Amino acid sequence: MITKEDRLQELKAKKTKINIAGGSVNIEKQHKSGKMTARERVLILFDKDSFVEIDAFVETRGHDFGMQSKKALGDGVICGYGTVDGRLVYTSSQDFTVIGGSLGEMHAKKISNVMDMAIKMGAPFVCINDSGGARIQEGIDALGGFGDIFFRNTLASGVIPQISAIMGPCAGGAVYSPAITDFTFMIKKTSYMFITGPDVVKSVTGEDVSSDLLGGADVHNTNSGVAQFEFDTEEDCLMEIRRLIGYLPDNNLSDSPIVPSNSNNQESALINSIVPEDVNKPYNMLEIIKEVVDDNNFFEIQEHFAKNIVIGFGRFNGKTTGIIANQPNYLAGVLDINSADKGARFVRFCDAFNIPLLTFTDVPGYLPGVDQEHGGIIRHGAKLLYAFSEATVPKINVIIRKAYGGAYIAMNSKHLGADMVFAWPSAEIAVMGAEGAANIVFRKEIAASEDPAAVRQQKINEYREKFSNPYIAAARGFVDDVIEPVETRMKIINSLNMLINKRENRQPKKHGNIPL
Amino acid sequence: MRKFLIKVNGNQYDVEVEEVQGKTVSEPSVAEVKTETPKKAVPANPSVSAGSQSVKSPMPGAILKVKVAVGDAVKKGQVLVILEAMKMENEIVSPTDGKVASVNVSKGSSVNAGDLLVSID
Repeated sequence: MITKEDRLQELKAKKTKINIAGGSVNIEKQHKSGKMTARERVLILFDKDSFVEIDAFVETRGHDFGMQSKKALGDGVICGYGTVDGRLVYTSSQDFTVIGGSLGEMHAKKISNVMDMAIKMGAPFVCINDSGGARIQEGIDALGGFGDIFFRNTLASGVIPQISAIMGPCAGGAVYSPAITDFTFMIKKTSYMFITGPDVVKSVTGEDVSSDLLGGADVHNTNSGVAQFEFDTEEDCLMEIRRLIGYLPDNNLSDSPIVPSNSNNQESALINSIVPEDVNKPYNMLEIIKEVVDDNNFFEIQEHFAKNIVIGFGRFNGKTTGIIANQPNYLAGVLDINSADKGARFVRFCDAFNIPLLTFTDVPGYLPGVDQEHGGIIRHGAKLLYAFSEATVPKINVIIRKAYGGAYIAMNSKHLGADMVFAWPSAEIAVMGAEGAANIVFRKEIAASEDPAAVRQQKINEYREKFSNPYIAAARGFVDDVIEPVETRMKIINSLNMLINKRENRQPKKHGNIPL
Repeated sequence: MRKFLIKVNGNQYDVEVEEVQGKTVSEPSVAEVKTETPKKAVPANPSVSAGSQSVKSPMPGAILKVKVAVGDAVKKGQVLVILEAMKMENEIVSPTDGKVASVNVSKGSSVNAGDLLVSID
């Protein structure tokens, strides 16, 4: 007869098996390659003792190609929930030590299930990827599993924050789940993402390229813009995911957590010295941002990609604010294809999750060039205009220096619905820079004069005096107030408080058609 | 028929060459050349990772100052040239530690996006 004690022993044995599903040999291999196991990662991600696993007894149903002999409890993925700084978060963590973390039918079902729960309960979802791809032995059952996950990623988009951590291979179809989620984190040297791997690339195009150069963390963080963060270690990565979650609301109907700050609301005079007198000299926009946010704490996103625009989160009086700023230090802060894409996606994230938008404008225009035009700067640049126009969250713009032409319009201008637009006295809000404008407007006068160079300079000076300032725009009401730099933080906080109950009703529609 | 993959000025071409045997060379045998739409080079310039790194102009503009000379040792992040573009004196910095192998521009020269400015060994 089976006793109660036997049954308990059986359960304990199974639980022990679940905890070392991949076996000690595979676990050692995983550690040797510089990676943690799926379970170790989850335990770091969540607050101590808060992780609750679900579906740990799920196994593969595949019978072909000897799948039954390879099967393991959990089917290669750990799913469950826990807390991050006390807040509910769901996760799935692929276990590379079990059949290479390959995604089979039941593996995918577990992920879909935990995503459904995250959506229902309105809590963030963190998907940790470490998988060789679809489990070939399970054929289209595995393939279908991918589709189910992408579908849920899309349904969850704009409802709950979704974060992907790539901590190993992520190839083929698998890459589209991270691509749909809001933020993708990668680990240097041990993670890579690509649609087709180096072998296929070589056989089709003849290009010889390593995994790392094809789809490593550096490539996706600097060149492709596919990922937003990269780290040397998995531990750093998981801690930063926790920090990111700290800025985000649980879902689209809740507010971001308030984090009390130590900043007093006295402005330091440091901010006065950041922008150089000479309008042609660059400076680091990050210095201005750090001067105004709570505790000088700015959580930058995608810092290596399209560095001419800066995006990230900061807090004002404890409340999360999405910051978008031109970076004069890189490419003169121009808008181009990549910076427009980067900015627009961030604006839409903030709008979806009720995070107010704050822009710092210093933009000389759109980047000229054949590459840009042929690359579709028209439709890419349009995204930024579209995203700002579409956003109904509180929108504040601070014009620091240059705000020229179409780029001025695109950067959260009054015309696109900004609620408060401030300008520093150094602001130049104009259709173009003084040099260009003088050359066009006074072309004939300059050509006809005896000393064209002198006349040109005189006309440039005239134009600059007349138009390169914030007061013409302020006279039209395009700028709400011209402020001293030291007042910036106070003005922003005051505006955010004023806008806290902002309501804006638009024409009902299914959804717009953003130029993609 | 033999297939060759030929790279000309960064564009890649598939070239099929037919070997003609047992004929006099009275009429030149013309190799069939099939051009393919040029493929963009793989990002992260893998080809240069081994040798010298080229620093290219990110925008069209004019060189205001050249701050290094051939043979200078440079550190990652050090300013190599100042490029005046978009009404801004843009600092073009070294992507790596190394030695300046060539300086391809001089003060006053105007450059296009993608033009080689400096190469570093």
